[in-house]
Amino acid sequence: MTQFLKYVAGIQRRQMLYGTAATLAFLLVSRVVVARQKPVGKAAGGIAHEAGDKVDLVLDINGQERHLSLDGRTSLLDALRDHLDLTGSKKGCDHGQCGACTVHVDGRRVLSCLTLASMASGKKITTIEGLAGPDGGLHPMQAAFIEHDAFQCGYCTPGQIMSAVACVEEGHADDAAEIREYMSGNICRCAAYPNIVAAIEHAKVAMGRA
Amino acid sequence: MANAAAPEPKENMGQPMPRIDGRLKVTGGARYPSDIRLKEPVYAALALSSIALGSISRFRLDAARAVAGVIDIFTHETLSDAIKEQVMMGQSEQAGYAASTIRPLQSASILHDGQIIAIVVADTFEAATEAARLVAPEYDARTPSATFGSDGVTIEEAAKISKKHEDPKIGDAEAALRTAEVKVDNRYSTPVQHHNPIELFTTSCIWDGPKLTIFEPSQTAHGLRFGVAQQLGMNPDDVHVVSSFIGGAFGSKGATTERTALIAAIAKKLDRPVKFVSSRADAFFVSTYRAETEQRVALAASRDGKLTALIHEGHEVTSRPDGYFVGGTDTTTRMYACPNISTKVSVVHADRKTPGFMRAPAEMPYMFVLESAMDELAETLGIDPVELRRINDTQIEPIKGLAFTSRSLMPCFDAAAAAFRWSERNRKPGAARDGDWLIGQGCATSCYPTMVAPATARVSLMPDGTAHVETAAQDVGTGTYTVVAQMAAERLGIDARHVKVTLGDSKLPPAPVSGGSNVTASVCSAVAKACDAINEKLRGSNSQNLAEQFRRLGVSELVEYAETVAPGASPEGIDQLYKGISALGGGPKLKDRIQYAFGAQFIEVAVHSRTREIRVRRMTGAFAAGRIMNTRTARSQLMGGMIGGIGSALLEATEIDRRYARYVNKNLADYEVPVNADIEALDVILVPETDDKVNAVGVKGVGELGIVGTAAAVANAVYNATGIRVRDLPIRLDALLT
Ligand code: FES
Ligand code: FES
Repeated sequence: MTQFLKYVAGIQRRQMLYGTAATLAFLLVSRVVVARQKPVGKAAGGIAHEAGDKVDLVLDINGQERHLSLDGRTSLLDALRDHLDLTGSKKGCDHGQCGACTVHVDGRRVLSCLTLASMASGKKITTIEGLAGPDGGLHPMQAAFIEHDAFQCGYCTPGQIMSAVACVEEGHADDAAEIREYMSGNICRCAAYPNIVAAIEHAKVAMGRA
Repeated sequence: MANAAAPEPKENMGQPMPRIDGRLKVTGGARYPSDIRLKEPVYAALALSSIALGSISRFRLDAARAVAGVIDIFTHETLSDAIKEQVMMGQSEQAGYAASTIRPLQSASILHDGQIIAIVVADTFEAATEAARLVAPEYDARTPSATFGSDGVTIEEAAKISKKHEDPKIGDAEAALRTAEVKVDNRYSTPVQHHNPIELFTTSCIWDGPKLTIFEPSQTAHGLRFGVAQQLGMNPDDVHVVSSFIGGAFGSKGATTERTALIAAIAKKLDRPVKFVSSRADAFFVSTYRAETEQRVALAASRDGKLTALIHEGHEVTSRPDGYFVGGTDTTTRMYACPNISTKVSVVHADRKTPGFMRAPAEMPYMFVLESAMDELAETLGIDPVELRRINDTQIEPIKGLAFTSRSLMPCFDAAAAAFRWSERNRKPGAARDGDWLIGQGCATSCYPTMVAPATARVSLMPDGTAHVETAAQDVGTGTYTVVAQMAAERLGIDARHVKVTLGDSKLPPAPVSGGSNVTASVCSAVAKACDAINEKLRGSNSQNLAEQFRRLGVSELVEYAETVAPGASPEGIDQLYKGISALGGGPKLKDRIQYAFGAQFIEVAVHSRTREIRVRRMTGAFAAGRIMNTRTARSQLMGGMIGGIGSALLEATEIDRRYARYVNKNLADYEVPVNADIEALDVILVPETDDKVNAVGVKGVGELGIVGTAAAVANAVYNATGIRVRDLPIRLDALLT
């Protein structure tokens, strides 16, 4: 029943996104450097695919270089969670429909479940773990989320916060209505929505974007 | 600027302390079960049946096995000795933990859509996922019965299924209805719903010799421990469940579901840690769901608005083998004074998965119907809906004549009506407009039975004024970590920030399931009792200085363990708790009293005059629930409930293809839940109430209260806006196209 189309990183949440990043890999695999370690399998339709092939890549995550050797189909989300122990980014659908996996890639909010790890190579990735200052001081958005009780179970929260920071930086936080609109790609099943809006309105001031 | 999230505490309300787990949750530091790093895990993925009834004649697994990285594929042909018979949670006298008696992979038989037919294990998540899609079963399919009205369903009375259910009844309702001055008599329906917590259903299993550790988000760490032990025929002492953080549950993580013991059995066979993270589509089958209902409510009244008859009949869908039902008439017959009441709850067995509890399992669907009917009666009588509730308000429930321990229904209506400016409402349907939008306002009663369960906790106090509370209770987002710290701090006279709380681990003293809104009441009672015992010991010394008291007592810490049951409840409940059973009691089931929390909700909708788009413009809820431990977390729970109620009213339904008894919209794009843009102005009012009879700490619980009545308030507002009465949820614009 939402009034307008909802965009997160240029993707409409309610668009029919039934494929996973793994499906995308079939389309994109030619663009990445594939280190063949296993024989090429045959998919049902007879298209050659690279199941199980490893891709060597370097990711710049929260200011650190991380070296990985991954199945070419690995999403950025699974790379973070299963291969780098950065489990702050959450998996709520793996289909671009919930926003729990939102991270920043070159400063833009991106759904890491719809991004192949290999596509993020060479870009600057920031996850929830990289948002607080090096001294552990919370980002104003993190502090505002606590103060305004903008979560309950906390599972959507890393994604909400990464989206919220981007929402402010994009200049899409002028008023409550605009915040609601530009935060609608992040589902909160605990339904902390009014508190999320309040947190963003307050953090915006501390971020110097009021 | 005032912080709406932290309401100023009124009488009998605790401070709005920010959540003590807040920092972990906003930094990504909270480790939910699937965040726990395992040593060289393998990954499991499910293959689910694409028929609802029949059997598997054979599998073609070559393509799946050929996927690089696949380790093994388990089917009923290889795993059929793994799972023992299981007993359902709360459905019989026996100790039960399971969501269903259906045991997938134990035979070729298929009893519902989406039954697990194979589990693929591979070196990587990617390979397991790909191979699971390539599992090719051949079926002997039969025509299933999908739901109400399908050929082949069978009907069974709830009272015949369970000794716990008795259809409430008094007087002669049919006769009173026949002779009534005014009556309404209508049929309503509510749809299938899925909880869809944002955390997916996950299970990681690790064996160390005979010992099994399970990382899984669970509403009952001990219940899951015993449930898996029952299914695997193990000693429960050898099972350890860790569930420190839970990414939302809403009922979906309560009973032991099928996948856990299967993953455990596979981990044992492979002698490797196995990690399972469900897909969102599979999540529509991995746990339970709220079953669809069909209901009839008839209300009769005299011209002055006094109820003379109430008839409430409910039909609920369940699976073939399990007689699961929620039976909300226990509640709907206790809301208003009425001399003639008759009710009946029946189940309809179809070829479906066994349903289960979802937030306010009985009250959400049944109160939608009662509160819609109350609005219809008010309209027929020409009496204001708030006044109709006032006319029929009672401090004595009409079935057994028991007194409510406290009942602040009308104070809630009055507080919410004033804040909402109800007096400015245009009573005539379709009369209020704002440009192209038709404006309507409606209200409804909220309620939830006050349930309490046996609980235990251990509290340690150190000489430096820090304390540690340990209990297996879960925090599903409700704020358990925080309110437990507050309770200990208050009793021990220390700062709540100095209390460490450890939860969600079956090695800790057992606590009840996070269900029925009981945990704050039950667990805080046990924590308070342990703290009181510590205080008693401290009294051994006269000093006012804590460190000095410890020195004089000659101890370096004071540790006390406490067990509590609800007032009047049997202490045997503690023994049951030690077997993983939560003996929830209360609400309308007590012999000497009846205990409920109440509330009132007011909603304004705007319906577009041409497109019939429905928007909720503002919502006001006022709630009284005994002692409020923390106004911040209580408000959030009530708000979350109200917004969940908007989902029920306008968005949420799992659609069934009646030909095949299969779900159609198994994803978050097509199963719509409220998003931020759906919620505009929302106001929660906490109404002060003191009740020292419900339990030792006077807490009623607020986890479910907020979702009850919301859907009726929306339906009533839609009627006020359009003059169209919609009796089937969810209300979508097609129902308003005339
Ligand atoms: S996990 Fe990426 S949008 Fe849901
Ligand atoms: S806090 Fe639970 S889903 Fe948002």
